[in-house]
Amino acid sequence: MINKRKNTKFKELFSKIMEPIALGILALLFIIPSITVINLEPITKNLKQFTDVLGVTTSSEIIIDLVGGTHEILSGERVYKNDNGEYIYEATLTKRESDFYSKPILRIENRTDEDKNITLLGTTINPTRSDIGLIINNQTYKLQKSNGESQSVEILLKAQSKYDVYLTVESVVGIQFSEDFEMKITVE
Amino acid sequence: MSILLKKALKLSILPAVIMIAGKFVGVMALIIAYNLQFEVGNEVSGIFSTQIFLANESSTLFVNSLSDMAMLVVLGIPTLYMIIRTTVLQSVKNNPRTIAKMVKFNILKWITSSTSTFLKIFIWTTFVLITSIITVSNSLRAESYAWVGIAGGVLSLLCIWGLIKTFEIETDKVYPNSREHSYF
Repeated sequence: MINKRKNTKFKELFSKIMEPIALGILALLFIIPSITVINLEPITKNLKQFTDVLGVTTSSEIIIDLVGGTHEILSGERVYKNDNGEYIYEATLTKRESDFYSKPILRIENRTDEDKNITLLGTTINPTRSDIGLIINNQTYKLQKSNGESQSVEILLKAQSKYDVYLTVESVVGIQFSEDFEMKITVE
Repeated sequence: MSILLKKALKLSILPAVIMIAGKFVGVMALIIAYNLQFEVGNEVSGIFSTQIFLANESSTLFVNSLSDMAMLVVLGIPTLYMIIRTTVLQSVKNNPRTIAKMVKFNILKWITSSTSTFLKIFIWTTFVLITSIITVSNSLRAESYAWVGIAGGVLSLLCIWGLIKTFEIETDKVYPNSREHSYF
């Protein structure tokens, strides 16, 4: 009789403890599949067969490497090849004070035995009050004026040579928002 | 532990597994069928670190869209089947001519064996809603085709309508209309 009463009390206590745990498990049964499904969504990435470990390689041995590293106004840098065969360099220009900034962004290498031409066209998604340009072999090039007008830059890559590409940003006034910058690189 | 909670736990396992399986099998089947280059890698961001990488944006959009659709189909078909079965059951109950037709085609058992309870339909509809939210948000972020998002939205509306209809049927069982009676 006492044993039976003890058993009933134990069952009651056990069910009281189990109820919130079961509720938690029930919630997890809805949350875990949702997170798993979101995580299973494929992401675009330059895979090794198409690319070099550090950047993008063309079949004609023009190598475009991302320099990487951190910078106070440049973040989220990446370089990839799009469906049209163009190379895209993307980065975010974060908010900044009025100043001149520069960062090495790409290393372009012409491994072929002939000279090659490349065209670079870079713009921010929205018009910006900053002058954006490039420095290649101590030569400055203007990509985008402060009024948002952009122009393409053509560079001759000599055979068997390497070029460091610097991105320059000059803001006359402080910029209080982030901007997405995109540069198309076409190898001819 | 309450019986309702036990039953809810038991009934939630199958749609949860089907939801994950639908997406995973959808992604893998498309990658294999279209011979797409893929990689399974680790990214530090997110709750789970393992992710599937594809070589270009067009194949990512294609795989994501069709795997979302696969997930909607594997969850939507059983849910709609349960809803239709419950609503057909209700209309049959009040119509002796339909009963006669059912008997003639020998499918009365399909209607009378009521395994589709409100709780079951509620749980399956919740999973359909979660799936629809994911597919619609993917479509809005241009990560899947627009028609997949539209299909998800329409399916979720249908399931909500079916759930309300099932709820009405269940409440009719508790408070039956005295002027109507069942023919079986």
